Amino acid sequence: MIELSPILVTLKLATITTLILLLIGTPLAWWLSNTSSKSKVVIESIVALPLVLPPTVLGFYLLLALSPDGFIGHFWLYISNTPLSFSFSGLVIGSVLYSMPFVVQPLQASFEMVGKPLQQAANTLGANSFDTFKNIVLPLSKRGFLVAITLGFAHTVGEFGVVLMIGGNIPEVTQVLSIIIYDHVEVLEYTQAHYYSIGLLVFSFIVLFVTYSFNRKLMVRL
Amino acid sequence: MIEVNYKHKLNNFLLDISFTMPDKGITVLFGPSGSGKTSVLNLMSGLGNDKNKKINSRFIINDRVIDDSINRIKIQPWFRNIAYVFQDHRLFPHMTTKQNILFGYNRCNSELRPEVLIEKFKIKELLEHYPEQLSGGQKQRVSMVRALLSQPELLILDEPLASLDYTSRQELLPYIECIHKELDIPIIYVSHDIKEVLRLADYILIMDKGKIVDQGDIADLCISQPLLTQQEGASFILEARVTKIIEEDKLVQLDCGETILITAESMRLNDKIRVLIHARDVSLCLSPPQDSSILNCVPICVDEIQADENGKLRVIAKIGKQTIVSLISHRSARQLNIKKGKQMYAQFKATAMIK
Repeated sequence: MIELSPILVTLKLATITTLILLLIGTPLAWWLSNTSSKSKVVIESIVALPLVLPPTVLGFYLLLALSPDGFIGHFWLYISNTPLSFSFSGLVIGSVLYSMPFVVQPLQASFEMVGKPLQQAANTLGANSFDTFKNIVLPLSKRGFLVAITLGFAHTVGEFGVVLMIGGNIPEVTQVLSIIIYDHVEVLEYTQAHYYSIGLLVFSFIVLFVTYSFNRKLMVRL
Repeated sequence: MIEVNYKHKLNNFLLDISFTMPDKGITVLFGPSGSGKTSVLNLMSGLGNDKNKKINSRFIINDRVIDDSINRIKIQPWFRNIAYVFQDHRLFPHMTTKQNILFGYNRCNSELRPEVLIEKFKIKELLEHYPEQLSGGQKQRVSMVRALLSQPELLILDEPLASLDYTSRQELLPYIECIHKELDIPIIYVSHDIKEVLRLADYILIMDKGKIVDQGDIADLCISQPLLTQQEGASFILEARVTKIIEEDKLVQLDCGETILITAESMRLNDKIRVLIHARDVSLCLSPPQDSSILNCVPICVDEIQADENGKLRVIAKIGKQTIVSLISHRSARQLNIKKGKQMYAQFKATAMIK
């Protein structure tokens, strides 16, 4: 009655997305928290865009970009010989963009909270920038990372619009939980819809409860 | 010798400083707040955010070039070997005292033995504590040990006592003197507290509006430099040597050209000490009074009389080879007919400071 594959696809998508976001989000957040460059505001705004944009808008442009004629899709086809649209990889790209603010913002906030003064102290004691980041900034940003990971993961699990636009709802490949609920409701299979929905509801509540109890200050702001 | 030259446009004024300071002892950088003291320290330690700003610099510690704008040399802060004790301790909150003090030590080839400094600064009991468990004074002591263990060539102390209460300050001062006595490194000490300056300084740089307006030995400048003499509680110092300890009265006899007595404890014979005297605590008389509670009455010779900004007169006189300053009213000056070259007597109370 309950299929396992949407759950697995969702977890796989959220895990990979969160890992990629940590890899690109950490340096980006670090740069944003340190720079006095004028482009900071521009980058911050772009990162925050998914917070205000209807997912369909993002999905629509991604659909265009990922298609074999699109800028990214064409390039992808060229290097991997597989189309990007309606593929799991395409879904990952969309999720990374869509969940970006939920990882970058808490990290940036926690880096800013560590602040310059401690880093300066470390510098005068012989620690270079990387040493300082590794031994002072990272350990003091543990909470920020925890918040970023949980929010990034949870938000990817909960995304609907973007996935609907670019995923294609292919079972065992791109069919995620939020979509299958929609499918069940559409054909009036409310019992199945209930199972998945209750599961997601409980999951989301636990995630938010944990994150909020760790730190409110690091929550996503707009 | 340490040579410092920086010319740098700050937001509201031009910082243009140029000085050499001795490579030993405590050099105090003194000046009103907003005069650019911290900017100088940030430039010296390489911490200032000076990208895109034109700076003319030349900073050399004992032949080692740190900054040189002409030859485009700018050593990174972590290679400068300049330790910095900040006003706000800046201990790493996720590390114990022990981890904090070893942070710099583990990153240099220090020949110092941590145990020695742990002992001297009395932080042995605090080694496993985290910074939030320490009092203000303890934090600052840990911060000093941390800085010292990185075996710096120059130690910067930026108002290390400013954030502490009076008692903690008094407790901490001897430790700063201890650095001075035990370790042979030059110290640049920033302060705008005249008492701290007089107690600690060997050499003084006076800064105002981004410029060094005066510099010299503290004993000379505390008499001649208006920024020091016009301060509330303006004082001067006498260098002296302990010649006798009078246990029963808790007094110490000193030789500072003349023999004087001060209240002091825990001093040894022949200790060289610095005596701090408030100018307003010095009174002048024509003959030594026979019935005064003030113990010290020494012959002086009036050297100069200056008008004070606050409507008083500053009488500068010689006591042996040293100088004494008395703050008196115009009326007293008229009644006693004080003029240059006049032989008189000065009465005063004094506080001793071990140096």
